[in-house]
Amino acid sequence: MRIEETARHALKPALAKAAGLSKRYVQRAPFSYKSFVIDALVDVEFDIAPASLTALVGESGSGKSTLARCLAMLEKADRGEIWFEGKEVSRSSDRELKALRPKIQMVFQDSAGALNPGFTAAQIIAEPLEVQRRESGARLHSRACELMEEVGLSPNWADRRPLEFSGGQRQRLAIARAIALKPAFLILDESVSGLDLSTQAQILNLLLDLQKAHSLTYLLISHDLGLVGQIADFVAVMQQGKIVEQGPRREVFANPRHHHTRELLASVRLLRSNFRTAQAGGR
Amino acid sequence: MKYLERRVIHGLLLLIGVSILCFALSAAAPGNFFDEMKLNPQISPSTVAGLRARYGFDQPLVWRYGHWVESVLRGEWGYSFAYNCPVRSLLLVRARNTLILTGLATLLAWLIAVPLGVWTANRRGRWDDRLSMASTSLLLSVPELVIALVLLYWAVRIHTLPVGGMASVDFGGLGVQAKLFDLALHLVVPVTTLVLASLPLLVRHIRASMIEVLQAPFVQAARAHGIGGARLLFRYALPAAANPLSSLLGLSVGALLSGSLLVEVITGWPGLGPLLLDAALARDIYVVVGAVMASTLFMIFGGILADILLVAVDPRVRLGKV
Amino acid sequence: MRKKQKIVAALMLLVALHLAILLAGFIAPYNPATQNRDFPFVPPTRFHFADARGHFHLRPFIYQWTVRPEGFNEYEEARGREYPVQFFVRGPEYTIAGLVRSDVHLFGVEGPARIFLAGSDGFGRDQFSRIMYGGQISLAAGLLATGISLFLGLLVGCISGFYGSWIDESAMRLVELFLVLPWLYLLLAVRSFLPLHISPTQTFFLLVAVIGTIGWARPARLVRGIVLSAKGRKYVTASRGFGATDSYILRRHVLPHTYGVLLTQAALLVPQYIVAEVTLSFLGLGVSEPVSSWGNLLANLQQYNVLASYWWMFAPALALVIISLGYLKVANAIHERLQSDSI
Repeated sequence: MRIEETARHALKPALAKAAGLSKRYVQRAPFSYKSFVIDALVDVEFDIAPASLTALVGESGSGKSTLARCLAMLEKADRGEIWFEGKEVSRSSDRELKALRPKIQMVFQDSAGALNPGFTAAQIIAEPLEVQRRESGARLHSRACELMEEVGLSPNWADRRPLEFSGGQRQRLAIARAIALKPAFLILDESVSGLDLSTQAQILNLLLDLQKAHSLTYLLISHDLGLVGQIADFVAVMQQGKIVEQGPRREVFANPRHHHTRELLASVRLLRSNFRTAQAGGR
Repeated sequence: MKYLERRVIHGLLLLIGVSILCFALSAAAPGNFFDEMKLNPQISPSTVAGLRARYGFDQPLVWRYGHWVESVLRGEWGYSFAYNCPVRSLLLVRARNTLILTGLATLLAWLIAVPLGVWTANRRGRWDDRLSMASTSLLLSVPELVIALVLLYWAVRIHTLPVGGMASVDFGGLGVQAKLFDLALHLVVPVTTLVLASLPLLVRHIRASMIEVLQAPFVQAARAHGIGGARLLFRYALPAAANPLSSLLGLSVGALLSGSLLVEVITGWPGLGPLLLDAALARDIYVVVGAVMASTLFMIFGGILADILLVAVDPRVRLGKV
Repeated sequence: MRKKQKIVAALMLLVALHLAILLAGFIAPYNPATQNRDFPFVPPTRFHFADARGHFHLRPFIYQWTVRPEGFNEYEEARGREYPVQFFVRGPEYTIAGLVRSDVHLFGVEGPARIFLAGSDGFGRDQFSRIMYGGQISLAAGLLATGISLFLGLLVGCISGFYGSWIDESAMRLVELFLVLPWLYLLLAVRSFLPLHISPTQTFFLLVAVIGTIGWARPARLVRGIVLSAKGRKYVTASRGFGATDSYILRRHVLPHTYGVLLTQAALLVPQYIVAEVTLSFLGLGVSEPVSSWGNLLANLQQYNVLASYWWMFAPALALVIISLGYLKVANAIHERLQSDSI
């Protein structure tokens, strides 16, 4: 089974790839010569197969969000290359970037902060279309309503503002906005963290449905291996700016090579057994 | 004390900035003292040209600025065309008079505002607080100009107060006590104007920061311990509100200086205000620059004074923790 | 609910005042420049309902002032003839906002009597008319200068907050410089570098430009703070992810947040700038005769005898205070509203 899965993706070239990616943050305190150096990424090598779901797992501060922002071209790495659809893109010009951006979209963790509270739901979803001049006028609104339906929100709510939605609904809005430009690659930065379990499951189901419908490639970032680990095709584990383990999910789960992976797995199992006991006790 | 050192350096940089700004503006504006002189048919063009050359007005701006800085270092502060003397001799007396006026007004305004602000914060929402808020908001919309004029009218009407000036005609022949009394009488109108003009903003700020402090847990705890009344208000709560208030002191000095310019002109107080106004009308630019510099210097001193007071009141600042 | 009513009341007052001053020609009974040398420093006209014979009149009437025989510039009412106050009377021609020409005035009396609501000045000019027309100058100066300040503040604040680095650093130093300076000193200094003898229109625009340029610092700093916090929001990052340009982000995500602050600042700056114009004109550095502004109307009080004897010359100050009060109320109301919104 492990061989099958690897083979399924190995034939196609990687959709996105990072090679030797490094990023360092230097923060200088005011009126002082001291500065703090944080190596957020250290020589990261990372492949993402097309139409797959890759889970990127690591503790907070391990550099996964930096990697995500670099891959989404929202931040420039200090060194290294980023390949997308067979092209090196990390040194793209502004114009090339504008053409590239629709293909790579990102969904943020904090849905309340990632949606402008002054916009209506329809305006939020329509924003990328407006920016990229895909649609205009009345078409903009009707397309936004279609997208709302696609992520399971009633178009009747098109005029509501983000704060009138629940956490899960807001995340759906963010997803609708991200797929508006029909991207090939969707980066989900902790997109289901902070939601309760059943909502998490609903959102993940929605993501899987969308993947089937639009043949999307996902990079799902999470600080724990919980639910996310269960549905991923590939798993990568990050620690202190480095990818310490990377491979098909089953392989990583069955035979973790790095001790950090083992720790993460152990905590998942512990949680799950606790959860089962709690359920059993409840009945 | 490193903090104060930094403030002093900051102040010096500010002074340099102000002087550059003044010179840049004077260069950007069309016309100067000598252009006005050219309009006077009694002065020959060659005389004007000679004067222009003598004061360096045919030189580029940077040269003039350098020349002026040099004269400041020599303690002359440039040369007044209209008074025909170094600016410093003009400034010293005028600055002293302005200092008497604004210093006294600041002191009085704070002496009234602090108890009033603290008291009304404690009585928030009651009749006395409402009365104070209503009257401050009314006073806030009366400009200094109007306050000064009304007070002057009142002084004219009651006949016991001198109207305008700093000293009576027979000032020279009076004894020390009589001199002080005469000065005090002349101070009544301008000082009252400045106090009334700056009071509303001060009271409101003090009240607002006190309300914030009074809601803090440590004040509640002190109340719970049975500490109350004036002791709680002035010994516990007020020092905690000192930080925002000290920056308010710095700002209030600035506002008072602007206010005092007008009040000085209206009441004929021989401070920097009338000097600046006359110089502005005569386009005597080194006097203008000098007066602006002197007022900036007052502001900086006001700020530093506020910091020193803050250090004295707030132990956190003393220990370098803020 | 009570708060909302307060805003509405304050706004209504302001709108009414501005409208009245805009319609100065209609509301003022006389041309502000028409002199009446026989009647210098006439006190405000008194309205009567009962005449000398004890008859009651429903329509108020006035008596004409005549010079008291033994006094200098002292007047008494000539009880001989009543002049009823009339509405929508024809009088001197005027234009409103340079567009509408008319000669109908809100009120007036039949000649030769004159109605002096706020007395007359040393040339016998109707002070009420002068206050109305002068208000046009003072208000326009305040509003235009506020526009300049807010525009400059918005510009500098946006650039400074959005692009950061050395631009921000140097802009903020400049802001500190402008904030700490006593504004009146600076205003006088700048005014002193400008030509003195120019036409009133030129003076007016110079004045507006000078006042407006001096006050840009506070709005700039406030706008910068808002831009800075708006720029750090996740939705701005998201917008970049769609390929949005800087100008799009500024327009759609950043600028809308600054409106509240700009509105509060406007309500605070307008009265300040009206006072600034009044102050400069009062000191003789602003708008000068024969054009009237509240500043040069008040300048009459610089003469000792005027200050001491003719209390009605304080009337422009009352107008100034009412306008300031209106703006202050509105500013407070907006400020409270913003604070309750942000929580």
